[in-house]
Amino acid sequence: MLKTFLALEDDGVSVDPAGPRLSSAELGAECAARADVYRLLSGAFVEEPGPSFVQAMRRPDVLQSLADAGVRFDTDFTLPDTESLVERLACEYATLFAATGGFPPVESVRLTGRYKQDPHFKVRQTYAKWGFALHKGRFEVFPDQLGVELMFVAELLERCSLALARGDEADYRRLEREVKRFWTQHLGRWVRGYARLIEQAAEHSFYREMARFLGGFADEEIVAMGLRIDDLDHGRAVVPKAEIRVEFNPDEPVCNSCEGVPAGPRRATGVHTLHDLR
Amino acid sequence: MDFPKITRRTFLQVSAGTTAAVAVAPRLLHAMENELGGKDFSPENAAERKAIPVNCHVCNIQDGAIAYVENDRVVKLEGNPEHVSTRGRLCAKGNSGMWYSYDPDRILYPLKRVGARGEGKWKRITWDEALTEVAGKLDAALKEDPNTIMLKYGRNRTGGTLERFMKTLGSATVLNHTSVCESSKKVGQEPTWGPDIETPDFANAKYVLNFGSNILEAAYFHNPLSQRVTEGRVDNHMKIVTFDVRLSNTAGFSDEWIPVFPATDGAVALAIGHVILREDLQDSEFIDTWTNVTVDELKAHYAQYTPEWAAKISGVSVQTIERIAREFATTKPATLFTYRGPAKHLYGSYNEKACMMLPIMTGNVEKRGGYCLPRGMGWPQPMPQPSGPKQDSVLAHPPEYPLAAHKVSHLVPFWIAEGRQKINVAFTYQDNPVYTNPGAQAVWGKLYRDEKLIPYFISMSSHMGEETALADIILPDCPYLERWEPESMPNSLWPWLGIRQPVHKSLGESRENRVLLRDIIWKLDPDGSRGMKQFWEFKDGEDYMRHHFDNVPGLKEAGGLDFLKKHGVWPIYGTLDPRTGKVTDKTGREIQAEYGLYKKELSGADIEGAMVDAHGLITKNGKAIGIRRDGHDYVGFPTGNRLINVRVDEWAEYGFNPMPTFKRIPWHETMKDDEMILSTFKLNVHKQSRTAAVKWLAEIAHSNPAWMNPETAKKLGVKTGDLVRVESPVGYLVTKAYVTEGIHPKVISIATGFGHWEYGRLATLKLKDKPAFGGTEDPDLDNVWWDDRGVHPNAIIPVVADPIGGSQGWYDTVVKVSKAGPDDKYGDIHGDWDRHYAAYKETMRYAYTGDMHRKMHPEMASWAGPESVKPKASGGH
Repeated sequence: MLKTFLALEDDGVSVDPAGPRLSSAELGAECAARADVYRLLSGAFVEEPGPSFVQAMRRPDVLQSLADAGVRFDTDFTLPDTESLVERLACEYATLFAATGGFPPVESVRLTGRYKQDPHFKVRQTYAKWGFALHKGRFEVFPDQLGVELMFVAELLERCSLALARGDEADYRRLEREVKRFWTQHLGRWVRGYARLIEQAAEHSFYREMARFLGGFADEEIVAMGLRIDDLDHGRAVVPKAEIRVEFNPDEPVCNSCEGVPAGPRRATGVHTLHDLR
Repeated sequence: MDFPKITRRTFLQVSAGTTAAVAVAPRLLHAMENELGGKDFSPENAAERKAIPVNCHVCNIQDGAIAYVENDRVVKLEGNPEHVSTRGRLCAKGNSGMWYSYDPDRILYPLKRVGARGEGKWKRITWDEALTEVAGKLDAALKEDPNTIMLKYGRNRTGGTLERFMKTLGSATVLNHTSVCESSKKVGQEPTWGPDIETPDFANAKYVLNFGSNILEAAYFHNPLSQRVTEGRVDNHMKIVTFDVRLSNTAGFSDEWIPVFPATDGAVALAIGHVILREDLQDSEFIDTWTNVTVDELKAHYAQYTPEWAAKISGVSVQTIERIAREFATTKPATLFTYRGPAKHLYGSYNEKACMMLPIMTGNVEKRGGYCLPRGMGWPQPMPQPSGPKQDSVLAHPPEYPLAAHKVSHLVPFWIAEGRQKINVAFTYQDNPVYTNPGAQAVWGKLYRDEKLIPYFISMSSHMGEETALADIILPDCPYLERWEPESMPNSLWPWLGIRQPVHKSLGESRENRVLLRDIIWKLDPDGSRGMKQFWEFKDGEDYMRHHFDNVPGLKEAGGLDFLKKHGVWPIYGTLDPRTGKVTDKTGREIQAEYGLYKKELSGADIEGAMVDAHGLITKNGKAIGIRRDGHDYVGFPTGNRLINVRVDEWAEYGFNPMPTFKRIPWHETMKDDEMILSTFKLNVHKQSRTAAVKWLAEIAHSNPAWMNPETAKKLGVKTGDLVRVESPVGYLVTKAYVTEGIHPKVISIATGFGHWEYGRLATLKLKDKPAFGGTEDPDLDNVWWDDRGVHPNAIIPVVADPIGGSQGWYDTVVKVSKAGPDDKYGDIHGDWDRHYAAYKETMRYAYTGDMHRKMHPEMASWAGPESVKPKASGGH
């Protein structure tokens, strides 16, 4: 019953989209790689990127790895000096996530329309159950903030990797189940839709691309873990026709020439699977 | 055994025939809300929720509330049954208060502007960065002149903290919001009988005259007094007569609604007084004993205010005036209530005075069911306290308005623009003049956008209101459920002390105001060498409250602050009877208020060493402490001579009529047939500016069509829903019409609280215009089914200042209304700074120093002119 409730697949019938069963070492390496991606994404969204994070992100090898995964930043990320880029990203972060009129990356807000609702308390309980305490970074942050939720999964995956390294299969399974449960109860319910929204709203390519990456990664993770979760965040790339309000002017000539129309936001497709990032 | 055959008809008959038995049958189930007042339970697991008593502060009525907290989150707000004034009830606004805390548009971190002012581009900074920057700006301003630091507050319930902050800095440039609120009501009353407001004993009255108050929806003190109005009406068969240009809910609840011509309430009140005195219906003993005029003087003065004169001005018939005068004077006890209707006019102070004369001349003052003094309680300030600033500020105490004890803050933008006082740093706290003041964005918006006039602008706010959006730096304040504040409000006949206390830790990095101000001072004076830090040596908000409350006599013995933390209010007068809704004593009887406060006798110790002059005034150590009447030493009224001053001599010093009078607004006298007067009003679910972001309230009321009479609408060819263009001397707007009999034919009336262009996504409905941005996809916002946010009228309302009380004349604007043209769009608003400036120059002509003053006061021909007046020491608060 619990498995049904959490939408977990039975071990015996689970589909492993990654292909043949991996060895313990391979599985540990995958966990470590996944943890890195979670940390990377967490770093992008938990607060404004600092100089060291920006510098690390702009290293050629990192840019190449990300490009291989379909994440391609524009020159607004690659060209400016570190100081002005950090400043620019801080402003964009505030506009998107921290100032009135933006959309806070907080599960309570995304799913209930208010801060500090059920998800806030539930994730806090979960962190406590696993022995984690949330500390202030540069700023106070909510436990159900996107970056913190991603960070929690990264911690669990690192523990998974360590458990496999020491041959503790039972602990690994326990941790893996928690990752799946956390996705089912939290991240999976809002991150995909929300990522599409950020992708649409971001002016800077850093947030646009990291949002695309987040969306693609979330899709991949859900499939890889064999989960079935509906995204309840109604962030949609396409607004249903019924919701579009057009002031129709019958005297205006119909124009079929759309060359001048700028391309719309790129869809979160083409992101490579986890194995490409290992 | 055969059972009786029961059909539907049978049991209906049984029901009808057994009413008496049913009435006395035991009832063991009671509605939880009443029976368990003060407790609440989770519907999921039936666990009792944590109940934290607070004082509500969605608006300023100060209802006693309880925040029910589950899992460190407020899940419900309810009335505090121990609160004597509000008796366990909250209004719709109070029930929605938690929205402020959890609003996704709330400001949670210090924000620094990175674009142009008002462009909406911000950078999040740390508190240390913010405080360092603010302290740097203050330091530079202090070196030049402390008065270049300005603080303008709106709803200040800090209990003295803001004043302490400005005194610590040595600045006198403290501005409030009172001139757009109720200052001429206050100034109409204060020199007359001492306090700034009355407490009508509605519950025990037999007759009520209501001039321009919508007490059942909005006025002071909506919730507690509307309970008493209802009791008086239902239990006491009280008659209510309401004078209002609009059929408000209060007017609709009244026995009579009399749609008076705007700004003429004072004339009607004087004519009612005329009839009472003419027919010898006054209380002569009260007048001769307790006022500074005799009955004969009063009769002689009122002879000029005939019903015929008032009828011509007000449109209220002679017969109606005479009938109401007789009813009011002969029905005992009777009371009277006013709010903005009479007071918010060019000569609002005169109007208020004229109204309050009616309970005075009929001896209804301080009687059960009558017109009572307000009851409140004070608390000591933490010591030491900073001394006052060395120099006064012309913005805070403009010499042209020496009697305006509550300032004339709505004229300040023009004075700053004229260079009367330089500003280097401006603070704003719980204020939003860019939206709430006359001229709105066209006046205050222009001021705050101008970096030459306001070089550095700091907003202490939890929400992005219209003025906060123009700030250079935002210091995130806490909403009311997350802060400590002392409270007392005369909102019933029982005085009380109360607190607001945080129901949980503040969200994000918001800081309550007193802590935030302390942190600025600590940054400015880290080691105390500048002498500032000594006034701010407290650990946190709770520590500050202990200084206020732990030594108040009576409360101290009850437990001081700890008692207030547990109960929210002190004293507890009795128990709320869930069946009657009244506070009862141990015998089950309703507790009774104390009346006749002015007739309390001084003790022997009070009298010892005191002197009594020829008028009976008792003074001690140079201070008036009472009045001797008929051999008794009474405390009297809280005025300089301990009497009710029907004649206010100080007014005469400045060429104003010291006796009750009325001045017609000159531009109303010359109105053309196609002109109307624009009035505004508030609905029961909104306050002036800060409720549009509260979803539950916005869902109830979100648009504000202009009310107009069918007679007017017919002339214009307009029906409900049609667009109309409303044009004033300073601008125009385009809105929808609402055609109703419930409005005076010469008035067009638009509710305030709508048409925001800031205050978050719900207030602005930007979610509808920009589907790609903001919380468009926030699931809760998917439930926002409305797309009309209303139209805010203030940009087209020019400034008018009562030369006595300083009030804005909100209801004095003459407008032309026409059917909207082809180029007019719903929501078009235009206000012009130059034309607003011209309006300011015009209103200054009515100040005692202006050329219109003498023209408006021919009866004061013997006044020697402004040069004859000695400079007045600054005062007011």
